[in-house]
Amino acid sequence: MESLYRLPFTIVQCPNLKLKKPSWIRKPSNTVVLFGLLVSYFLVTAGVIYDIIVEPPSVGSTTDEYGHHKPVAFMAWRINGQYIMEGLAASFMFTLGGLGFILLDQTNKPNMPRLNRVLMIICSFIFILVAYCATKIFIRIKMPSYLT
Amino acid sequence: MDALTSILPFKQLLPQKLSYDKQETFLKLFILASAGILAFATRLFSVLRYESVIHEFDPYFNYRTTKFLTDEGFYSFHNWFDDRAWYPLGRIIGGTIYPGLMVTSAALYHALRWFHITIDIRNVCVFLAPLFSSFTVIVTYLLTKELRNTSAGLVAACLISIVPGYISRSVAGSYDNEGIAIFCMLLTYYLWIKAIKTGSIMWSASCALAYFYMVSSWGGYVFLINLIPLHVLALMFTGHFSHRIYVSYSTFYIIGTILSMQISFVGFQPVQSSEHMLAFGTFGLCQLFSFVEYVKSKLTQTQFDALFSFALVTVGFALSIAGLVLWASGKIAPWTGRFYALLDPSYAKNHIPIIASVSEHQPTAWSSFFFDFELLVFMFPVGIYYCFKELTDANIFIIIYGMTSIYFAGVMVRLMLVLAPVMCVLSGIGISSILATYMRNLDASQPKKPAGTASAGSRSRRTDDSSTYPRKNEIAFGVICLMSFFLITYVFHCTWVTSEAYSSPSIVLSARGGDGSRYIFDDFREAYWWLRYNTDENAKVMSWWDYGYQITAMANRTILVDNNTWNNTHISRVGQAMSSTEDKAYEIMRELDVDYVLVIFGGLIGYSSDDINKFLWMVRIGGSTDKGAHIKESDYFTPQGEFRVDKEGSPTLLNCLMYKLSYYRFGETYTEQDKPPGYDRTRSVEIGNKNFELEKLEEAYTTEHWLVRIYKVKKEENRGQS
Repeated sequence: MESLYRLPFTIVQCPNLKLKKPSWIRKPSNTVVLFGLLVSYFLVTAGVIYDIIVEPPSVGSTTDEYGHHKPVAFMAWRINGQYIMEGLAASFMFTLGGLGFILLDQTNKPNMPRLNRVLMIICSFIFILVAYCATKIFIRIKMPSYLT
Repeated sequence: MDALTSILPFKQLLPQKLSYDKQETFLKLFILASAGILAFATRLFSVLRYESVIHEFDPYFNYRTTKFLTDEGFYSFHNWFDDRAWYPLGRIIGGTIYPGLMVTSAALYHALRWFHITIDIRNVCVFLAPLFSSFTVIVTYLLTKELRNTSAGLVAACLISIVPGYISRSVAGSYDNEGIAIFCMLLTYYLWIKAIKTGSIMWSASCALAYFYMVSSWGGYVFLINLIPLHVLALMFTGHFSHRIYVSYSTFYIIGTILSMQISFVGFQPVQSSEHMLAFGTFGLCQLFSFVEYVKSKLTQTQFDALFSFALVTVGFALSIAGLVLWASGKIAPWTGRFYALLDPSYAKNHIPIIASVSEHQPTAWSSFFFDFELLVFMFPVGIYYCFKELTDANIFIIIYGMTSIYFAGVMVRLMLVLAPVMCVLSGIGISSILATYMRNLDASQPKKPAGTASAGSRSRRTDDSSTYPRKNEIAFGVICLMSFFLITYVFHCTWVTSEAYSSPSIVLSARGGDGSRYIFDDFREAYWWLRYNTDENAKVMSWWDYGYQITAMANRTILVDNNTWNNTHISRVGQAMSSTEDKAYEIMRELDVDYVLVIFGGLIGYSSDDINKFLWMVRIGGSTDKGAHIKESDYFTPQGEFRVDKEGSPTLLNCLMYKLSYYRFGETYTEQDKPPGYDRTRSVEIGNKNFELEKLEEAYTTEHWLVRIYKVKKEENRGQS
């Protein structure tokens, strides 16, 4: 068996490779990955893919009785249609709400100065309430018959 | 728990003699049973409003095949060649469907009959999806319990019982593959998590069996067979790879692949197509990885380095040559249309108009996310955060599942269904973790002290904390009230959405009259039953492909094209017939032996999904093949680029077959007060071409509200024109 293995090496010489993983490739920390996932969540729920394919305008426009063009923020009555700005605004609210709850969890760390803790609690409550109310208002503007 | 039950008002109802464990089991069973019953009940809106009828288009095909299966038996079903669809080509049904749904219904039907409970097969089909959604509630509980703990599991189970994203495809009457596929998918995931936690062959083999059930039920199994290898790869990169993962994945891949190839529709794809190559590659990588670890443990460092560089050069070189040869010779098929469109969303829009025309395949806007999930869009990042806090093998899986399904749901609205379970699981983890943290902060010792000294006593108790954490009790109470409020509004939202948006059978339309009474439009079934009883058995019906399944199932007539859309050229021929003038269309119709033409027209009642609104897709698909090269979309628009059916409309549009068949005799009809005759209520214009006669066709039947119009194709003259 040994002689069979030695056969290729009579013809070919094994190259002297020195393989080393590049030192700049490091496993990213948990926080960095979480931040990256939140950014991608923001982009996807903003309907970025919808924007790329369907190419809606940034804001809509309507003409009132005097002939003036007025901007329209939300594409009304269509559940699967949006303008670019409204998508970004809504997904900002989603991420804000999520951040509020994450912050709410961070407030329970044992050794934290009193001021930091109070500020964090106030901040998280504001984030959560603003995000929820704003999103409800958005969907009500978009679908006037929502929850009736 | 004791403190909590002592302050709950219904403590008299809880069995007093039971121990703490038994109380907990009782609560768990009660909650799960209620969630299961709720999941079934909330899907019954359309059955209560209309009747137990199959909805939409695709379910009619599934219903017809299930009936065939129960009547003829499994072997006839497996070898069935249907000559009543895609005339003159026919369709091999046995080899081109996923039989899981039909086999499940037939099995349930026969099982009930064995107990002499004779439920009609139609009712079994209608109520199958709600039944399986109750099972999904149970499996979600089990899955989340493995990922986190029991309380997260209970919250996730309650969330998934009413989440609109899942209800939309599993309502009673929606007899489609997704109804059981979600259950199979979650069952496979649960067994996979169990397998990697225990490393036992039994769990891995059970996972492979569940995977087989999943493959038999839905084409979306490709998502599973890519997600599980992705998970294994992620575990390798984060250094969590262990013997348990090795055993689980090897067992799962081998048994699962062999089983999946038993389905005729899948055939040899698991070893040939690119969609399955990641699983194959990961399998190889697992073996290599474990072998390297094993050899490393036996050799010294220098010996190992020498062997490693030798192996990399020879074996790696040989493998890459083999891969290149297989790819160049075409043995490894590239990613096909539907799945490639997920990776490159603009592909369908530019190359395959049929895929781009389906409204379910459009990308997702923000409002669809909120409409289908409400509270869960806020809790999804929270769940991911809590998973990152305690990063175990199982948590990595749910994070990868969450992020990939968010991306796919963003690409295609239909895939919101795949996102729904993971949204519920992660939100369940998030909500229960927040509630658990803040319940601990609540001061449960208050009721034991008299009311007056309660606040002073509790504050003195927390002297160590109050300096850095003021008003801990009140904040915890506030958070819990807020969370309860959000959950209550979630329930209201879900019920409203289910009732208004996702419970329409599509085959029966309804509208509210001026005085609020409900008015039903049953035109579709009226037309199909007219066809069934007033035409020859072998008559061939031409219509647009949307209605094909319904015509074969209800009218029992041969059709040219149906929703399977497997032959683009044939559909293009029908599109050419619809877009051409009456004479040219007559040639195409005689070539295809068409006896009747069926069109949907919504102008009398204002129905917006009629054939004139779909007409541009007929033009695009008709012009996309060689024989239809003379059909150009721009001919059907006005010089200013608008699609109009009034006097300003393009003459090509005003004289094509679809226009004539939709508006025949409509020019003399009054539709609204103080509007001229021939006023189209859907397009809100008066039509341009009014008083014309049809030469080659004659009107056979028009339903009560002009929704469905059927025309008979006249035979050629006996004497030729010389």
